[in-house]
Amino acid sequence: MEKIMILLWLSAMCIAVEGNAYAEPKNLYTACLKCHQSEQVPSSLVYRRYLMRYSTPERIKKAMFSYLKAPEKADSIMPSQFFLKFPMKKKMQMNDMLLKKYIREYIEQFDVKKRLVLP
Amino acid sequence: MQSERRSLLRFLLIYMGSTFLLFSMASWLFYTSTRHHLLDKQREVLKYESQKIESALRELHQSNSAILHYPVSKIGNSAIYDLDKHYIFGTFAHPPQLGARQKHTLSLISKIEPYYLGAAYLLLSKPIDYTPLLALQRNILFFMLLAGGFFAVLGYFLGKLFIAPMRESIKQMNHFIQDTTHELNTPISTILTNIEMIETFGECEQNKDELKRIEIASRTLSRIYDDLTYLNLNHQYHRRIIRLDMAQLIEERMVYFAVMAEVKHLRIKTDVKSGVILEMDRNDAIRLIDNLISNAIKYNKPEGELYVRLTEEYFMVKDGGFGIKKEDLKIIMHRFKRANTSEGGFGIGLDIVNQVVNSYSFVLQITSQLHQGTEVKIQWKK
Repeated sequence: MEKIMILLWLSAMCIAVEGNAYAEPKNLYTACLKCHQSEQVPSSLVYRRYLMRYSTPERIKKAMFSYLKAPEKADSIMPSQFFLKFPMKKKMQMNDMLLKKYIREYIEQFDVKKRLVLP
Repeated sequence: MQSERRSLLRFLLIYMGSTFLLFSMASWLFYTSTRHHLLDKQREVLKYESQKIESALRELHQSNSAILHYPVSKIGNSAIYDLDKHYIFGTFAHPPQLGARQKHTLSLISKIEPYYLGAAYLLLSKPIDYTPLLALQRNILFFMLLAGGFFAVLGYFLGKLFIAPMRESIKQMNHFIQDTTHELNTPISTILTNIEMIETFGECEQNKDELKRIEIASRTLSRIYDDLTYLNLNHQYHRRIIRLDMAQLIEERMVYFAVMAEVKHLRIKTDVKSGVILEMDRNDAIRLIDNLISNAIKYNKPEGELYVRLTEEYFMVKDGGFGIKKEDLKIIMHRFKRANTSEGGFGIGLDIVNQVVNSYSFVLQITSQLHQGTEVKIQWKK
């Protein structure tokens, strides 16, 4: 009986820890990353393309926000061939505050600065 | 001899000065251009290294690795900056502001486009390698010293070469004066002795005035002879310093010049203190007194005043003659310089006075007012 109780408690703890660990990304994930994943467009690649064009986080934030609010082919960082395979993204209906929050989280998650080290 | 050395020194100074200036300018131009060239060579290395880092950044941008190893340069420090010139990453201990100048460091800022890893600028710095610059400075200094030595020797010989004709002329003139004075001595002595004999025996009473003129002319000649001999033998002449009664000597010389003064009808005033004893050579004293008194007679106005004074402190001769211009007062003591050419002479009188004054460390003072007269004072003690 004791053994069954310990096993049940351990299972409950594992579920709780797992739930906490993915709480924040889960929102970003469901709001943005999930779609990218299903379409097989790696978010890290998208971020690098943003980085390559806009250089600073501030400029990226502005560019992403305006694009998500009113997606246009001309404003996209993806090459024109990309749209032959993928449809044009729909306008984001999310509230601005939340959208800005997710953009910030997105940049933080994929930021290369944290990953740079001296050999 | 002294003026010759002075001329040579002046020539050398001007020659060496201008040569040094010219070489300095040439060396400076050469140094500047070579320095630029050497620094450009070091910049080229930076540029090449910068391209290597840029290429490594591109590879890193495409990497999916969780850890990105920043490309480290072997020659110096590097850093990447975003479009707003904010520091992203680098190898500097204290990341510098982009564009800030660093001492003794060679920096290169390259623009990166597209912005791999968000980097818009790449800064690459390395310490300046001063070794070739120091070697260049050493070479230039060595060359300057070598050239300076060569041109100094060349200048010395050139100067000697230029002065040679002048020296030859002076030598010839000295020989001429020496020979002339030697040849003049005997006839002058003969004339003076014979005049004295005629005066003593009084055989020529009706030609007394003519005889006086001959005597004056002969004495003038005799004095010129003495002056020239003094100048010629000045350096070889052995002085016999004795205790000299200056009052007695001045009285003697006044008698000697009495005939000359009489012809000009000068009013002679003397204030000679007896018992003034100086330790000096008799010939030096005679040259000093004679030249001052003869000048005072020569440049006096007819019926002018001649005032001679001797005290324990000084000897003074004052005339009421033409006077000397203010600007001429500074050069009047130089040999062959004459303030007034209306009377005969060589311009050696005051030069002799000056030489005697310097030899005994006396002090010579000349004050003069144009058309009023001149006062020459020699102070025995400073």
